[in-house]
Amino acid sequence: MLKSRLFVMLQIVALLVASTMGTAQAAVIGNAEHFAQQDRSQQLAQIDAVLARDAVQQQMVAMGVSHADAMERIGALSNAELQQLAQSLDTLPAGGSALGVLGALFLVLLVLEILGVTNVFSGI
Amino acid sequence: MALALVTLLAACASTTPPPPRQAASELAAVPFFPQTAYQCGPAALATVLVHSGVATSPETLAPQVYLPDRQGSLQLELQAATRRAGRIPYTLDTSPEALLAELAAGNPVLVLQNLGLRSIPRWHYAVVVGYEPTQQRVILRSGTERRREERWSRFMASWARAGFWGLVVPPPGELPASASAEGIGPELARQEAQLEPALARAAWERALLRWPEDPDILFAAANARRMEAGPERAATLYQRLLRLAPAHQAARNNFADLLLQAGCPAAAARIIAPARAAAPGLAPPVRDAITSTAAAIASQLTDNAIDPAHCRALSEDLPKP
Repeated sequence: MLKSRLFVMLQIVALLVASTMGTAQAAVIGNAEHFAQQDRSQQLAQIDAVLARDAVQQQMVAMGVSHADAMERIGALSNAELQQLAQSLDTLPAGGSALGVLGALFLVLLVLEILGVTNVFSGI
Repeated sequence: MALALVTLLAACASTTPPPPRQAASELAAVPFFPQTAYQCGPAALATVLVHSGVATSPETLAPQVYLPDRQGSLQLELQAATRRAGRIPYTLDTSPEALLAELAAGNPVLVLQNLGLRSIPRWHYAVVVGYEPTQQRVILRSGTERRREERWSRFMASWARAGFWGLVVPPPGELPASASAEGIGPELARQEAQLEPALARAAWERALLRWPEDPDILFAAANARRMEAGPERAATLYQRLLRLAPAHQAARNNFADLLLQAGCPAAAARIIAPARAAAPGLAPPVRDAITSTAAAIASQLTDNAIDPAHCRALSEDLPKP
């Protein structure tokens, strides 16, 4: 009981320290901030960085990435990138392979391939 | 802007650009890692990383980029893994000219292709290593093929369906051959927090050599120098920038802050004065920073204060406000 209380207190202190550290250096304009002024989407991305981080980590683990790997992968992503992934990790293009057949779509694709519209099969 | 351009290009991609008249080029020394099932992301990334001097392999990279349930790898994670390997990933300007410029400069280009249809996509990563103009063939390291030739029109159609997305990983301190001053600033700045400071600074310094008069690059290089190389070398750049662009208020703010931290409040006050006057009309982050810097300077400035002697080296070449 006491331990969990202490833990919560520590978390609150850590959060306060983290939130004040961000404002302490407001006197200098950083490169990211300077160039982000030309791009509003990046400014908005700053807001929910913590939420995005959690969301991406959960989705990665759900998609079969180990906890440890997910942590490291998230650490290598910027806030704006995390924001983007949090919204569309399951829909963004995932380059995989030219291998593999799409079942019922096989014939359609084969016809298109012969007509020269696609190049799925020559990619194998 | 870049995103809008990608969408625009993708939207009208039914007509692919004609094959350029260009001398044949092939980067035969680019290594090859045959992909195992669905692992074209790690294989293609290992190809460009090893070529840029990183000791790595698809097996090392797979836990960093592969998403088992998606049976593939995302573009953003290829970029993140590149940074983890101590290199800077640059996304390519979306044009065939940029692709050929990179090949001519010796940089293989990691591309995303959609080998299927827009409605039934088959996403695939490959590495372009050459172009052969008489047969109009693009030469790729792709899948399990060390040297795959694709007809220009077919390659361009599959690349267009993936928004002409390409990635270049030059050796440290080098920039892509096709980089532009307007493109490189945002590209580096958005990734800077995830890069080693020395690596980022080397890239800014190289950009500065290529575009010595670009205000935004001067500004960014000065900031990077301040973190990495000390106040004197940064001060030189802030001064050069303010001579070229006296109304660069963000530079005034950062230079004034540098002077203040170096114990030169009088010089800092002279630099910040025009920015303070202009502050009400500026965007909030810049305005707030200027207000805060000016207040800090005012609190340290006594009447008729004269800065110590070492300040002269930092500010003797001050531009007139």
